[in-house]
Amino acid sequence: MKVTVGMIKKLCTVTLMAIAAWFFPMGSGAQTQTNHEEGAQAYAKHCSICHGDHREGNLPGFPPLLDISRQLNDQQMATLIHTGKGRMPAFPKMPQEELMALIRFLHSDDLSAGAAHGEEGGANVADAGRRLFQRNCAFCHGRDAAGGETGPDLTRSKLALADVNGDKIGEVVRNGRPDKKMPAFNFSSDEIRSIAAFIHAQQKKAAEHPGGRRGVDVADLQTGNAADGKAYFNGAGGCAKCHSPTGDLAGIASRFEGLQLEERMLYPRNTKTKVNVTLPSGEKISGVLAYRDEFTIGLRDSDGTYHSWPTSRVRFTVDSPVDAHVELFSKYTDKDIHDLMAYLQTLR
Amino acid sequence: MKFLQYTFLLASAGLLSLLPQAVTAQNLDPSAILHPAPDSWPTYHGDYSGRRHSHLTQITPQNVGNLTLAWAFQTDQNAAIKASPLLVDGILYFTVPDNIWAVDARSGHMLWHFNKPTDEGDHIGQRGVAMYKGWLYFLSPDGHLTSLNAKDGSVRWTVQVADVSKGYWTTMAPLVIRNHVIIGVSGDFDNLPGYLKSIDPETGETQWQWLSTPPAGTPNSTTGGMTWITGTYDPDLNLLYWGTGNPTPVLNGKTRPGDDLYTCSIVALNPDTGKLVWGFSVSPHDTHDWDAVEPPVLVDGDFHGKPHKMLMQASRNGYFFVLDRTNGKSLLTAPFGPVNWALGVDKDGHPIPNPEKEPAPDGRLIAPDEGGLTNFRSPSFDPKTGLFIVDAHPSWSIYFAKPADGNYGWAGADYGLWGKGVIEAIDYQTGKIRWTHDVGPGGSGAGVLTTDSGLTFTGDAHGNVLALDTRTGKTLWHAGAGAPMYSSPISYELDGRQYVITSSGGVLFAWALPEHLQESGKKAAGRR
Repeated sequence: MKVTVGMIKKLCTVTLMAIAAWFFPMGSGAQTQTNHEEGAQAYAKHCSICHGDHREGNLPGFPPLLDISRQLNDQQMATLIHTGKGRMPAFPKMPQEELMALIRFLHSDDLSAGAAHGEEGGANVADAGRRLFQRNCAFCHGRDAAGGETGPDLTRSKLALADVNGDKIGEVVRNGRPDKKMPAFNFSSDEIRSIAAFIHAQQKKAAEHPGGRRGVDVADLQTGNAADGKAYFNGAGGCAKCHSPTGDLAGIASRFEGLQLEERMLYPRNTKTKVNVTLPSGEKISGVLAYRDEFTIGLRDSDGTYHSWPTSRVRFTVDSPVDAHVELFSKYTDKDIHDLMAYLQTLR
Repeated sequence: MKFLQYTFLLASAGLLSLLPQAVTAQNLDPSAILHPAPDSWPTYHGDYSGRRHSHLTQITPQNVGNLTLAWAFQTDQNAAIKASPLLVDGILYFTVPDNIWAVDARSGHMLWHFNKPTDEGDHIGQRGVAMYKGWLYFLSPDGHLTSLNAKDGSVRWTVQVADVSKGYWTTMAPLVIRNHVIIGVSGDFDNLPGYLKSIDPETGETQWQWLSTPPAGTPNSTTGGMTWITGTYDPDLNLLYWGTGNPTPVLNGKTRPGDDLYTCSIVALNPDTGKLVWGFSVSPHDTHDWDAVEPPVLVDGDFHGKPHKMLMQASRNGYFFVLDRTNGKSLLTAPFGPVNWALGVDKDGHPIPNPEKEPAPDGRLIAPDEGGLTNFRSPSFDPKTGLFIVDAHPSWSIYFAKPADGNYGWAGADYGLWGKGVIEAIDYQTGKIRWTHDVGPGGSGAGVLTTDSGLTFTGDAHGNVLALDTRTGKTLWHAGAGAPMYSSPISYELDGRQYVITSSGGVLFAWALPEHLQESGKKAAGRR
């Protein structure tokens, strides 16, 4: 909304506030729509967790709010929201504008908190998901979900392809992926379903154009020379010091392919790091590294029990063979990588 | 009584710069940004220099071990705080997308909360507000600038400054210079020119606009050069300094031959006219998304024995630059971590991109990764030690691009392989790294603040807030704050008590010494 400003600039603050009050709460139809969306968002944020996404409640503990405006007037609703009641928390800091929008929303017939993000149901779910995706996910995963800054191509993701109605995508979205710096998001079940519907629609779209498909195909990663790769594996790369084509890498190309194989080859994530701790008493405890910052070291022992100590109070050694992959980064040529990739693909 | 306090102050300390803000509550005269008072943080970087160096000395290397929580403020939002708060007349103003809070800087209690959800535009972050007299200026994801009354958060006007339907969005904290509110934009999913706009603080009308690149559709030309981090300003030269973002298409450089000016550049503009005075290309012909928007830090001092007005940037592409800011000529270019994409540095101080390291169908191994050797988080310059301290991110990745990826927007794919966070202290005269301090796997998003007493405040990848010894990088104090920091610390003094403000996730923390350990309570009592 652009309030024309030439006429306003000479007026005093009090008048400005009066004008602002006149413009904002009681404006046009478009303004009413905005208020409705604000109310729906306020409901989704504060109320839906107990009273349900569609105000259906969850008896016996949480009453439905479907006809709440027949039981309480606006003032009673406002007081209840501000002060709480029984197990219902108080929201004393809710700004007046948000409170008014919420009460108006509770009067409305639109039962969907998800309406804040677009239409519900049927073919429109993916559209609602698109808007949520653009706001929250597109920066990393790209606007078409086919990859962008940092985030992987979701139209090729095995997890996303296996997802049904958000069952797998939802788990990742709600928990995040701390190891890959993906944050967690608190979306409602409806929101998760709509995001999943959008991703599935994008997968379908991408699969319809196999020839000109963007992103990394298995066929793109076939430029290396397997014999040179084998020589690098056994020689300059030093790979054979830790790995064996008949041992840990036997059949590796049957388990992984394409970009996934190349990423694992260059730096395998989630490998286990061993730590040996010597306590002040001389007692030794070993296990898998579970946490380490400057101040605390934590491990899981063979029973799965977690132990931690201040780093200043114990002596410890960390055995992290995966660090050899980091040391190689500055030594590889691109040809070395493509050759190694070709060699690993022979290990079926 | 107030008059007496003033007279006392002026007579005893000669702190003329205190006068403007002390007269009226919730009011910031733009001239006060020239010499910020100790009880203020009046702009995103704290002052016009971008040094993020506080002159406060109550918290010292000797007593920082006693630092304790003064208060915490819970936003109750999922969005992480990426803003630097402003502090004016005892009130902090800070943001997440679509939200502003005004909070009492003494107690952390909320005065008002502006909450206006927007449905359009990328909600990736919000870096804070600017202030002019009694008005705040706030950019929303949908490309609108809103002016609000700082007293109560009521809206005065809203104007569109970027077209969200074309693919722009806005996140940055505007910069006020006299009667100019300077704003920048984001948006590299589309082939769009970046720009800076100067807005009239009273009317919201556009005073000037400067385009980083030619309009979209110009043949053989680049687009891009977004302007999403607040710049700096030299009042003596009357020059505005700004870093510009990557070119578009991002990973495919074929349609945009040459250096792609002025993307990935540092530019100097006249803030009254928006006219370019000089520009320096930090990443000629970038194909790795390495925005050069990191703060251009202004330092006056010796360089190899001669006094210089310098500009320093630790850039996302992995190089540290020292320029003469009067004319944009290079004094030093040196990598501050692993970089493998350049053939060297040319005689004018520009890295020479290696064509073999442009993204390719079968992949290219690149250091640093697309997040860069540093990014949005602010560095700090410590004048006593001459150290430029930056939260660095040594990292490796693979970059792909093929014809099917096209020549619009992202136009390729890249995958980070490994990275870690390291606080580095760079000697600006040599580019040599004096000390490093590891801050954890993946890297930390925390900016850096240094103080005159010799302290460096920052955070690690695990969510610890750290106070380091600026001379050595050794940890002197820490506190686990529950989530990593994605903002840069600030510091101020109120009622004789020095506070350091940090954020973690959606929580703002104020740290201070226990009251019984404060020495200078009486000295500063008259300031309020």
